[in-house]
Amino acid sequence: MTRRMRLVLAALCALMIAPAVVAVIGRMPAFGHHPLPYGDAINRTTVAQRHVTNMVSAVNFDYRAFDTLGEELMLVAAVTGTLVLLRGRRGESLSDRAAQAGERPVCERSEAVTLACRLFFPIIVTFGIYVIMHAQLTPGGGFQGGAIIASGTLLLYLGESYRLWRRLVHSLLFDMMEATGAIVLVLCGLGPMLRGAAFLENVLPLGQTGALICGGIILVENAGVALAVTAGFILLLVEFLEETRATRDGGGS
Amino acid sequence: MNYLPWVTAAWLFAVGIYGVMTSRHYVHLIGCLTVMQSATYIALLSVGYRFGSVAPIFYARSDSTPAVDPVLQAMVLTDIVVGATVTALLLALTLQVHKKRGTVNPERLRPLRP
Repeated sequence: MTRRMRLVLAALCALMIAPAVVAVIGRMPAFGHHPLPYGDAINRTTVAQRHVTNMVSAVNFDYRAFDTLGEELMLVAAVTGTLVLLRGRRGESLSDRAAQAGERPVCERSEAVTLACRLFFPIIVTFGIYVIMHAQLTPGGGFQGGAIIASGTLLLYLGESYRLWRRLVHSLLFDMMEATGAIVLVLCGLGPMLRGAAFLENVLPLGQTGALICGGIILVENAGVALAVTAGFILLLVEFLEETRATRDGGGS
Repeated sequence: MNYLPWVTAAWLFAVGIYGVMTSRHYVHLIGCLTVMQSATYIALLSVGYRFGSVAPIFYARSDSTPAVDPVLQAMVLTDIVVGATVTALLLALTLQVHKKRGTVNPERLRPLRP
């Protein structure tokens, strides 16, 4: 099919769908004044029921934990797929040389960059851990904190050296961390069944509202998600950076 | 103002799908896919929004304060993270296509040979 034909076809489809889109938009409830029965119920009852103050975490790791389990497995599947595709041809060999763009000369790393990275790396990682640990109290959680920590590790590469970064971010460790995260989440589901409760039911003691340790199973699941997301993102970074090296070394084969 | 979020979501979805259809480069196509996905973020967050209310965090605040819908926020949160990893998977596929076929232009790729 030529490009022109495809656009004509698309325009026809758009013309057919347009009235439906307009009708739906016209009948949406007024913006900012929706009835939100489910959300309101959660906002009203969760603090008393689960002793946590972050409703989003309560939804993610408790009320709709089954969805999170599904999303988590999707994440692990996507990361695994990326790893199989990228690492499959290249193998797991380590290299001391960083990637290099074409024939461009390698510049010395300036001291200012090293200093800035040394300053910010611990701060970013600490902030990531803080965000993960306070999932049940304040905005944050395993997803956000994991992404923060994973991005922070890139500062090691930027500020120190490729060799150090590659040694510290050893992929076997993170392969295992990724799997552990997924297993923790599945065990959170199966564990309560040993006690005769439902899959993913919150059977752990809830603790005191507002304390760092509260919410029962929410904490455990959050930790599992944090492990899986941190490891998953770091693995993706490692594999994509390794890929640039492979290109330079000659097609990666 | 009333229709703005829905029109924005529909518009983002439409430009994304237009980009996917006319794309000449897989990386561009994946970017367009991300644009389409962000339409869902806007739609979901707009459904859950409510004027004059706070974020659904009741730390140092009474839980009878009017708050926006946490369910939709939780959906968007997981959506973003999974979207990022799926984008990574698609980019890895693009790299593989480039290695095997030497092109990343969807128009130039013929169906897979056995």
